[in-house]
Amino acid sequence: MIDRSLVRHIDWILISLLLLNSLVGLAFIYSSSHYMPGNYYLKQMAWIAVGMLALFLFLMVDYKALVSFSFYFYILALVALVGVLFFGRIVAGAKSWLRLSFFQFQPSELTKIFLILLLASVFSKFRQDHISWKKGLLSGALTVGPVILVAMQPDLGTALSYIPIFLAALILAGINMKTFVYIMIVTMVIGVIGWNFGLKDYQKDRLTTLISPSNDPLGSGYHILQSKIAIGSGGFLGKGFRKGTQSQLRFLPARHTDFVFSVIGEEFGFLGVTLSLMCYFFFLYRLYQSVGLSSDRAGVYIVFLVAVLITFQFFINVMMVIGLFPITGTPLPLLSYGGSSLLTNYLGVSLVLNVKMRRFVFV
Amino acid sequence: MKQEKIYEDLYPILRRARLIFVFVVVFFIFLILNFWKVQILDHEKYWARSEANRMREIALPYQRGLIIDREGIILANNEASFRVSLIRENCDDYDKSCRKIARLLNIEEPVLKERIGKYASVPLFKPIVIKENLSLEEVAMIEARKLELPELILQSEPKRFYPFGSLAAHIIGYLQELSPEEMKKDIFRERPLGDLVGKTGIEKQYETALVGDHGLLVEVVDSLGRGREEVARSAALKGQDLTITLDFDIQKEVEELLQEREGAIIVMDVRTGEILALASYPNYDPNKFISRFTSEEWLDLVNSPEFPLENRAIRGLYSPGSVFKLAMALGALDLEIANEETTFICRGETTIYNHPFSCWREEGHGEMGFYDAIRHSCNIYFYNLGKEMGIEEISRYARMLGFGAPTGIDLPGEYVGLVPDPQWKEENKNEPWQKGETISVSIGQSFLLVTPIQIATHTALIANRGIRVTPHLFGSLSSNGVERENRSNIPSSRAVNIDPSIFEQVIQGMWQAVNDQGTGWAAMVSGYDVCGKTGSTQLVSKDRSEEEAKEEGEEEEEEMKTHSWFTGFAPRDNPEIVVTVLVEYGGMGGTTAAPLARKLFNLYRKKYDR
Repeated sequence: MIDRSLVRHIDWILISLLLLNSLVGLAFIYSSSHYMPGNYYLKQMAWIAVGMLALFLFLMVDYKALVSFSFYFYILALVALVGVLFFGRIVAGAKSWLRLSFFQFQPSELTKIFLILLLASVFSKFRQDHISWKKGLLSGALTVGPVILVAMQPDLGTALSYIPIFLAALILAGINMKTFVYIMIVTMVIGVIGWNFGLKDYQKDRLTTLISPSNDPLGSGYHILQSKIAIGSGGFLGKGFRKGTQSQLRFLPARHTDFVFSVIGEEFGFLGVTLSLMCYFFFLYRLYQSVGLSSDRAGVYIVFLVAVLITFQFFINVMMVIGLFPITGTPLPLLSYGGSSLLTNYLGVSLVLNVKMRRFVFV
Repeated sequence: MKQEKIYEDLYPILRRARLIFVFVVVFFIFLILNFWKVQILDHEKYWARSEANRMREIALPYQRGLIIDREGIILANNEASFRVSLIRENCDDYDKSCRKIARLLNIEEPVLKERIGKYASVPLFKPIVIKENLSLEEVAMIEARKLELPELILQSEPKRFYPFGSLAAHIIGYLQELSPEEMKKDIFRERPLGDLVGKTGIEKQYETALVGDHGLLVEVVDSLGRGREEVARSAALKGQDLTITLDFDIQKEVEELLQEREGAIIVMDVRTGEILALASYPNYDPNKFISRFTSEEWLDLVNSPEFPLENRAIRGLYSPGSVFKLAMALGALDLEIANEETTFICRGETTIYNHPFSCWREEGHGEMGFYDAIRHSCNIYFYNLGKEMGIEEISRYARMLGFGAPTGIDLPGEYVGLVPDPQWKEENKNEPWQKGETISVSIGQSFLLVTPIQIATHTALIANRGIRVTPHLFGSLSSNGVERENRSNIPSSRAVNIDPSIFEQVIQGMWQAVNDQGTGWAAMVSGYDVCGKTGSTQLVSKDRSEEEAKEEGEEEEEEMKTHSWFTGFAPRDNPEIVVTVLVEYGGMGGTTAAPLARKLFNLYRKKYDR
């Protein structure tokens, strides 16, 4: 079923880096949740296994086939997102989960993959050096659909993560100043309307207390402050594995999910932070290095967009953890606990591998 | 072929991707620098905050020292008390648990929420006291719902308890929670939040001895405020026990005598100045104030027109009336203006400085000798002495004999009263002294103001023939039964440069007043040689206005507004005890105050003399 030459071109280094980062995350999920019921680290281990399996199974399907069916996937994703709004389950204040017969899933996560495929499909057809603003807006409209649906859940963090995928595609396709200005204006208008009508009060609070978390230590600034205390108190070497008081005594919020990086900062200090950042950097570097190693234009877009998707979430999460960005509920890809996010990122990497190993195959 | 086309085509795209990656690299550097700042440069700050987060210091309650009467009866004690606190962070649903708790503890919900609302700025895991002095039923009720209401915690603490309620309330004083302003003072800096402190009386005067040292428990807590592990503990130290000179039996009798009246009684040991009893009426139950909550009863007491919180014995300002005639007599003898043979004729009224002055006995006393003048308390006699002495000499002797200055009793807030003289009037009223005022001062009226404790001290000074004693309540301090400090023998000194024989003459008058059908006859105790002096006077409250004073002077109201004084000592030779009685609106001193004094002389004699 699969060509031997394809297997030969699988990027094992990328897979190793993927696994390495996942295991770093697993260690700190264990550290920050072993004393709680729920067995989160065991579940995450299972998710990593499932993710790996999915990654290899997904490789068997030629990405070109996926690209050609991308519009149907996109419609399917929209239907799922609408379905979530009606039948979804509320977790942490947002209706983002669909309960299937044997497991629960967040369709908004998988939508990222479908969006990447769709944008790759649309943009690979632009052959000029720069795209026109009309085409830019058309592709923007395709992105806005899921953004609005997910923001209504309300899950602002995930909703926002769709936008850089689209922007990155624009940049890659080449965009002139005029188009860029148009898009910025539209974005700002939507932003202003969204601030006044779309955002819930708690979301506004999160954004405003970012400026001065100490003013309101028990309000929405509390989590940011506790996270900074955790990281800052770690110092150079940290307090030691499973010895972080902020985490073990539960001052740190969402320790095994969104704030898992604070646990690294507290327990392994600046040294641990730098090492984990480097692990991540090599992983991202390997992704960016893969851009262009494809047999067609769509492949270039796919690899680049997957890299940007992961990079964007990574930066948002780390900036949030250290108090430079409001709490939006963006997990740290690969490191944070959570099956949907993990599976999505594995499938994203799988797409990259898919494109890369088929770079010498020409139809 | 196709391959070439694609790669050619892709060049600008790849360039843009590489540019984006440069941004990624820059961003990584930016992140590392940020972590450097937070983890290395600001490490100390965040380390301290993480330590503060996880360590909790709990003040362990101490026991206040006991207050004990001279025979070992405990007047102020400590008893176990339970209080219940709420930890907001442990509430599943704040409104719902407020509703539940309000019903359970029988507190109105808005009151409960207001109480909790006051602590909005305190971290959510800190317990807030919502009810104290719980009954055993309430304790059992809360204990039984422990699982259902994890937000409630029960704590026990020793609580001040006054077993005899209002007995000696003005002496003992009461406790209240330290106010945030008081916490800033040096002496209270070490005290934990919400500690109780003596506000009046002995509790305030000897605060530093009675207060113990609170212990300290340092423990590791989690974000829910649950104690995880004890790190350090220092035990609380009990305060020192204070024995005061009070005699429980006499105090009890004194307070019974004052029932239904307003006034003050002081019983003092002449030889030492030890206060055996001191009462002011109406009084209050100090147990009611030991609370972190402002009760309505407390506000009622503060706002009552009868001022039950005021200790009239040391803070009530009264005209001494005829009691002042003792000082007049001593001054006149010492100045040799009068002697045993000096007589004046009393016709019930006389005119001095073109102004009529009357005696309390309208029909007059007839010819009055020195002893009879004291015995019958003849106003005319003392008008004449005062006229000859002049206001300067009168005020000099008044001060010498203990008026116009604090007695030094070891209770906080003693008033000094007022001994008027021309200079004082110039300075305070901006008016020259009127000669007629000298005549009024001669019988203890006009601007002259004294406190009952000054009268008692004055009487003791006469009984001691010029030796001054300082009234006091302090007996001894001990901790764990070991005596630390004993001040029962405060040295007394000959303070007054008047010959003892002059005192003997005045004492002769006082003896006659009681034992020879004088004004103080009702204080007579056969075989105990009581010497005393009565007084009937108008209350001059400290905020009295001139108009009121004039009205009070009008004859119709005189009866109603007359305060009744008696002060005396016994026995005549080697005196042991001073009794001073003031009954507000009591009428004539001889009919109201003197009989009360007799009961106390009797009681003392029965208990101590034989």
